[in-house]
Amino acid sequence: MVSDIGRERLLAPSDQGATRPPADDGVPEDWVSALSSSGADQQAAMRALHDLMVRAAAHQVWRMRSALPDASPGTVDVIVNQAADEAMTALLRKLHTFEGRSRFTTWAFKFAILQAATDVRRLQWQHREVELRDLDLERVPHDTHDGPERQAEGADLARAVAGAMDTCLTPHQRRVAVALLVDGVPIDVLAERLGSNRNALYKTVHDVRRRLREDLTQRGYLPVDSSRTDLDPHPHATAGSS
Amino acid sequence: MTPPPTPPHVLPPGAVAALLLDTTPYLSCDECFERMDTHVEAVLDEPGHHDLAMDRHLVGCAACAEEAQSLIALCAGH
Repeated sequence: MVSDIGRERLLAPSDQGATRPPADDGVPEDWVSALSSSGADQQAAMRALHDLMVRAAAHQVWRMRSALPDASPGTVDVIVNQAADEAMTALLRKLHTFEGRSRFTTWAFKFAILQAATDVRRLQWQHREVELRDLDLERVPHDTHDGPERQAEGADLARAVAGAMDTCLTPHQRRVAVALLVDGVPIDVLAERLGSNRNALYKTVHDVRRRLREDLTQRGYLPVDSSRTDLDPHPHATAGSS
Repeated sequence: MTPPPTPPHVLPPGAVAALLLDTTPYLSCDECFERMDTHVEAVLDEPGHHDLAMDRHLVGCAACAEEAQSLIALCAGH
């Protein structure tokens, strides 16, 4: 039998909004004071905060439900509850850092969203191996098609990027970049498998991108003043041109 | 004519674009998380809101981008 909470969690967020009272009903005006107090006020604030955490975790799990190996109501209920509990613990550790620059609910939601998203990704990959591999340069396409010019330019750029990865990056940088940006391994899953963290891997990828862009700019594949927003995977610039 | 299937271990166009993103100015995932609530409220209050460091981080980090989009959706319906 599906619990009331379980049923709510299987509803789309818009449906939840239609069937549930606003989460702010009866919540403290000053969350930080209430949560930092003691007695009945604190207990009421903790319950209200947990409701917020459950709501945000359910929202996130709903968004990512197609990634779940088992999206049955009972499993979803467990995932949401665990994420909400862990997020609440994380939030309470950071409570002293809340400065009121946003609404408290917005600040609180982000903890549950982060936790639930991380949990779903971990479940999605729990039985999948993460292969840390180098790029196989032999299999980067050479003259792949006799098709339109842009297709040829795309293959040309792909070869140039692969070459730059081989010459400009360390083996660790290549493997992280391939796992995250070619094979699509989620960053927190890779961090867990490597005993690393999201910050460190993102920094690695940031450095990879910077080095590749510098090399390809020097070689004329990217315009000198190009920015991320106008990056075209099939740029008009070709090798040797500026 | 159907194009031949892409063999594994190559760089598809999406991967090339992802590898060449300009993610400067640098912003860590932790810094993105710290700013996310104020950023989301600014985006909701002012649809043209622009924060270069956040914008570039969110384009370059799929996980943070999903979480920011999710927070926007949740707050928009809240």
